[in-house]
Amino acid sequence: MFRIIKKSLKKGLVTGQYPESVTPVPAVSDAARNKAKLFHRSLTIREVDTGSCNGCEMEMNALMNPMYDAERFGIHIAASPRHADALVVTGPVTFNMEKSLKDVYRSTPEPRLIFALGDCAIDCGMFKNSYAVTGPVEKHIPVDVKIPGCPPRPNEILAALLAVMDRRKKE
Amino acid sequence: MDKLNERVQEIVNTFKDRLVDLEQIQGIPVLYFKKENILEIAAYLHKTPSLRGTLSLQWAVDLNPVKPVHRIYYLFSLESGGDWLILAVDLMEKDRLFPSITPKIQAAKWYEREIRDMVGLIPVGHPDLRRLVRHEHWPKGTHVLKKDFPWNTVLERKEGTYSYRHIEGEGVFEVPVGPIHAGIIEPGHFRFSVAGEPIMQLEIRLFWKHRGIEKVFENLSLINGVSLAEKVSGDTSFGHSLCYCQAVESLLSVEVPPRAEYLRTLFLELERLHNHIGDVGAICNDAAYALALAHCSQMKEQIMQLLDRLAGHRFLRGVNRVGGVAVDLDSSQLDGILAELAKIEEVFKDLTEILFVNASLIDRLETTGVLKEQTARDYGVLGVAGRASNINRDVRRDHPFAAYRHLSLKVPLYQYGDVRARVRVRVDEIHESLSIIRQVCRQIPKGPASIEIFSSAPAGKWALSAVEGWRGEILYFVMAGENGGIHRCKVRDPSFVNWPVLQYAALGNIIPDFPLINKSFNLSYAGNDL
Repeated sequence: MFRIIKKSLKKGLVTGQYPESVTPVPAVSDAARNKAKLFHRSLTIREVDTGSCNGCEMEMNALMNPMYDAERFGIHIAASPRHADALVVTGPVTFNMEKSLKDVYRSTPEPRLIFALGDCAIDCGMFKNSYAVTGPVEKHIPVDVKIPGCPPRPNEILAALLAVMDRRKKE
Repeated sequence: MDKLNERVQEIVNTFKDRLVDLEQIQGIPVLYFKKENILEIAAYLHKTPSLRGTLSLQWAVDLNPVKPVHRIYYLFSLESGGDWLILAVDLMEKDRLFPSITPKIQAAKWYEREIRDMVGLIPVGHPDLRRLVRHEHWPKGTHVLKKDFPWNTVLERKEGTYSYRHIEGEGVFEVPVGPIHAGIIEPGHFRFSVAGEPIMQLEIRLFWKHRGIEKVFENLSLINGVSLAEKVSGDTSFGHSLCYCQAVESLLSVEVPPRAEYLRTLFLELERLHNHIGDVGAICNDAAYALALAHCSQMKEQIMQLLDRLAGHRFLRGVNRVGGVAVDLDSSQLDGILAELAKIEEVFKDLTEILFVNASLIDRLETTGVLKEQTARDYGVLGVAGRASNINRDVRRDHPFAAYRHLSLKVPLYQYGDVRARVRVRVDEIHESLSIIRQVCRQIPKGPASIEIFSSAPAGKWALSAVEGWRGEILYFVMAGENGGIHRCKVRDPSFVNWPVLQYAALGNIIPDFPLINKSFNLSYAGNDL
């Protein structure tokens, strides 16, 4: 036990040990920024998977690890849409998930910010026109910000979230 | 035709009078029977003590428009040595009925429901004929894998109800959870029946994420299918693409250069490593031991950043291609991998030392979520969950692929089947993976990492391929279509086999322990729903 603590102390802080994102930050509309302003320096997110391959989920999870530590920017994950300021939706919307997505949208208090995360959520990716897919997220609910990538790297997701929150990463 | 092995020859002799046809494809014997005999033969394979066959996969192929036939295949793995044997039944013309083998073989339960949903063939005598993939709002008579069903049909939303199993009695109540549930996780519906604390029944309803993968495959060419295989289950991108590539390579009779085989082994083990390390951390976190999560998620991230530097993708997408790998590594990169992993191994060793002596943690893990060996055997449970319940199966040893025939490998085996056993299997496999990666880096031969493909496969030819992904055995059945296309691609992620047993592992436990049990299996929803 003490050995591992000693090593951790010796190692120092690991937060921030990741390469900077090289892809341009997605465009954020003023309307989206204004919505985010209400929440000041925090954003509570409910992640909704409507048919992704779980790659996007893994990268969202990675945001919470000690290296990215999104909590330091006030980004939290909520278990219920009723506690969320924002929804992050991944995956093409499947025929089986369409109703659930709309239910979640209705349960989220206004002015809910909606992110479409990953290529599938933005334009259905390889599943476009498949019988089991009913179209991209924005066909069913209004989307504020789109974060492309298959899946987007955690640093790219973080950069986009911070752009919406109008915060830059502390040096 | 090659000589059949003794055990198979004996089976053939026993059922000689009922055998319709016999062929051998890729060394796998395929025995054709009439449908009225199939139950008896399947039961014989499953129940005979010297065979102890496990149903590994059951799937149907619509052979229209070439032949007016629906063919159902049953893939059995025989005990010890893991020999494969395929039974096949033809349903002619408009015949849609086939005898269910579920009354004798539990493992067929979901496969037969899936066949009914997707191809529209009805397993007669099946104990549970509710829809599986098609939720209640699907229009009647939609069978998407029939050849006359256009892949881009827009389905009309209908009204319908799904009947759950109910337990009734004083003090019994139901707790429905999902499909959108917990933290960052895929959708699934769990319905617990409890009286007081313990779970009396758990019904799991999945397929919310059904994206039509098998149908979309049929639009792609054999060569381009790789990019879809990578999206079957994101966390196993490499395992799935490897399995697909191997199937197509054996269809096209392509020999992959030895260097590519070693690189594939290396990447597959790296994928196993980061997933297993992440799982150990997440399981401990579900037992409220956050220290392990902090360390493990850090190590996992280190490996994923390493993969990004090596291959340009954190999930290794775009690395596999038919004919080899698109990414070659030089010796300094291989040394870099070893140096990075040495650091990780040191931390991980320290961590496991404190994990297994931590009484408050072990108390949560031990005797929680026990999966009995018999249940695991009946359902043919695979991978980590199987090896924690004394099911001694590992494709890397039983049917060596890539470079595994040149490498030494120990398969960890535990008996008790609780959460702790599943953690132990993962910890042992992490050390085993590290050892394999070291062997690969030492032995990797020089040469090209991929070859160009010039050959093509005749329509109707098929190949089967298996890969031990980090969750367990992945299977792909690929049948070539016209002009280099795909007639049918059956994908089987180990999750599809393991999901139904989760309900037995949860019995008698309390609901607050369910996330822990679920995490210890860590099954893919995407790979299951397809």
